[in-house]
Amino acid sequence: MIGNFLRLGIRQMNVQLRMRVLSLWSLALFFTQPAIFSAIGMLLARAVGNTRPDLVYTVLGAGIMGMWSGLVFTSTYDIRADRREGTLELIVGSPTPLRRVVGFRSLLNILAGSTSMLAAVAAALFIFDYSFSGINIPGVVISFSLLLLALWCMGIFLANILAWSRLSGTFVDLLEMPIALLCGFMYPISVLPAWMQQISAVFPIRWGLETLQDALKGSLIDSALVNKWLIALGVSFVYYLLARWFDRKVHDHIRITGELHSI
Amino acid sequence: MIKRLGHLFRLYFFQAWFSYRSLFAWSTPFSYATSKFGFPFFAMLFFVFMGKFVGFLDPMFIVIGNILMMPTTNGLYGISMTIGNERQFGAMSYLLGSPAPRAPLFLGRAFFHILDGFVTVLVALPIAMLIFHIDFAEVNLFMLACCLVLLSITTTGLGFIMGTVSLLSRDGWMFTNTLGQLLYILIGVNIPIERLPGFLQPLSGYLPMTRGILATRLALGGAGWSEVASLLAGEILVAAVYMVFGYTLFRLVERASLSTGSLDSI
Repeated sequence: MIGNFLRLGIRQMNVQLRMRVLSLWSLALFFTQPAIFSAIGMLLARAVGNTRPDLVYTVLGAGIMGMWSGLVFTSTYDIRADRREGTLELIVGSPTPLRRVVGFRSLLNILAGSTSMLAAVAAALFIFDYSFSGINIPGVVISFSLLLLALWCMGIFLANILAWSRLSGTFVDLLEMPIALLCGFMYPISVLPAWMQQISAVFPIRWGLETLQDALKGSLIDSALVNKWLIALGVSFVYYLLARWFDRKVHDHIRITGELHSI
Repeated sequence: MIKRLGHLFRLYFFQAWFSYRSLFAWSTPFSYATSKFGFPFFAMLFFVFMGKFVGFLDPMFIVIGNILMMPTTNGLYGISMTIGNERQFGAMSYLLGSPAPRAPLFLGRAFFHILDGFVTVLVALPIAMLIFHIDFAEVNLFMLACCLVLLSITTTGLGFIMGTVSLLSRDGWMFTNTLGQLLYILIGVNIPIERLPGFLQPLSGYLPMTRGILATRLALGGAGWSEVASLLAGEILVAAVYMVFGYTLFRLVERASLSTGSLDSI
């Protein structure tokens, strides 16, 4: 049972990894775009006399940007790509639930996107000569894990919700930058007006990211940090439940009405 | 002669209209609006907050710069798509096999994108005035209109080149996208050219829109013809070079594909 589950996971992730690695578009999402956004942050800072970019927001923030952009473009296109390429029927017809396939794919999408974060850390260490000595390592590990969970939950949620219409691809334009804007990928959330901060509270990424940024700045594990972890966990769980609900809808849409392919 | 000219005009405008409608890949007003305003609008806000965080005290510079860059959605991305998608949608062989003159077929792809890009900025500027309370009391309206028309035209040079690149590579869209994002740095959209590192400043001068955006900023501040004439002349010259290069590149690629049959098999 567990062996089958693991074999499925490895196979799915293997195929998904090949697709990601062989696509220059994915590499641009993971590395080029975040690097350009980071460069804009650095040049803006330089324009006002700051010679050194901010480690947490301008350098590492680019890594988060890459993870999110990668996820939003890859996960939202997963089911739609199967539909377009004619493999959706084969997946749905197989005894493996579509949910499990999407789950593994989203996991790989996030792990592949994490290379963007690795690149940002490498840039911080070797290009900008930053030291990570002051960071709260357990805090960073827990926060980053929660951030990955938040991204995964949003990934499976988006994969299902955007399979509903051919026009859903246009929503990607309304997801990538607004989430980056509202969740404070490359600046502290306190820079935003209060109403924007309130809206961003519904995204688990915001909470995971805020705790990661705090831990990177050396914050101790206190009640404020733990509360944000719990909120990140709770909001992620809500997205997971919503994804399960939508998954059932998509599944019915395919199996009972047979309509998904004709959308 | 007149019949021949009529044929060319008809071909130009039919190409312009059909390529704009079908190859720009938007089918409803909603998808049109999101593709035109979605990324540019939210990216602009993102840069404004990024600037606020690092202490860049002139958010209006970023707001206006990003609005003036909006014609690239048409001029760069739109034209690149309308050329590259011919192959994607399987129509390339028919196009290359037809005896129709190439200049109107190729250049016609820009016409509605130029109009669309111009209208986009005309819509976005007043909205920005309302949202960000920008004071345009001193604006030189005639000069502003001239600059905006010119900006909408000059972005197309890059679009023609990148469209041809997308015929040569399946990853053409990635190159177009990367170039489009580099423009956020290089042409004075978010960062004043004089504050860019020394090695980037000469590069800006060789790119379309750099002088156009600078001239438009001056016109918004009330500058007259004498102050912007040299900038506009430079902008026209750079744009002409890019357009001629794009068309020449397309002809070369076309000729190569006719002898090797490679274009549709990439």
